[in-house]
Amino acid sequence: MENIPETQEQPTTPPPERLAYSIQEAADLLGVHYFSVYRLIQGGKLKVCRALHGKLLVPRTELLKLLATE
Amino acid sequence: MSNPFEHRRPTELEDKAHGEAVRHFAEHLKQFPASREAVERLERDVAKIALAANIAAAKPTSQPNVILADDGAQWHKSVDLMENIHLCHRPISYGAEYAVVEHFPARGTNEIWNRGWNAGEVLKSFTHEQRQALQVWTEDMTAQVKEFLAEKFPGQDLSRVAEAFTLKCTTQAVSKKQSVTHGHEQNHSRGVRIQN
Repeated sequence: MENIPETQEQPTTPPPERLAYSIQEAADLLGVHYFSVYRLIQGGKLKVCRALHGKLLVPRTELLKLLATE
Repeated sequence: MSNPFEHRRPTELEDKAHGEAVRHFAEHLKQFPASREAVERLERDVAKIALAANIAAAKPTSQPNVILADDGAQWHKSVDLMENIHLCHRPISYGAEYAVVEHFPARGTNEIWNRGWNAGEVLKSFTHEQRQALQVWTEDMTAQVKEFLAEKFPGQDLSRVAEAFTLKCTTQAVSKKQSVTHGHEQNHSRGVRIQN
């Protein structure tokens, strides 16, 4: 019987971390309805940036900051 | 905002693009009118809700309705306003203080949005801010639709489609089926519910 050479698992590089999320994604991550995210933005509690066409994006750092504020 | 297709009928391409946008953003088309209607209902019922909160504040409150808010104080839930959002009160030496508090499940926190000694004024401030939040939503939705159309139909001027979509989303009424299945607003669609 032929010996099958052990295959060495190549270390996989993790996918690069997202820099920003859409409102829907941010809502999913925060576990809230997306109206709540718009409320947080309007209330100045969540800072956002604008992509092409003016679409709102929530920077990852801002989401983490919001989650860590308590 | 007036109907962009009022004076000139949509072209075949605009028709197709509008159909695709409506399919792609179906969830927005469902959620936005429902949220707008919830805000309108609050605006209509400010006096009624404020009275309910005053009555709740005058009653002895039960422990399950006590929440700890981000200001470190304990608040008693008076009236459910929206999903995870309550009008609350707490006794103070000369009456009661009121606050609109939102529960954030992921953080396990209760965030105070508005507070004051007059329940009606607190509610008015809250509904005013909800209107502004709806405006932020509208602008973002329009931008998302524009991005979607630019990717799907590169090089085409479909600005009328984006305008028509926004108009449809911001003015259409909530269907009966939606208002029954959409739990977000269901709690307060038949009057004001006071917490015991």
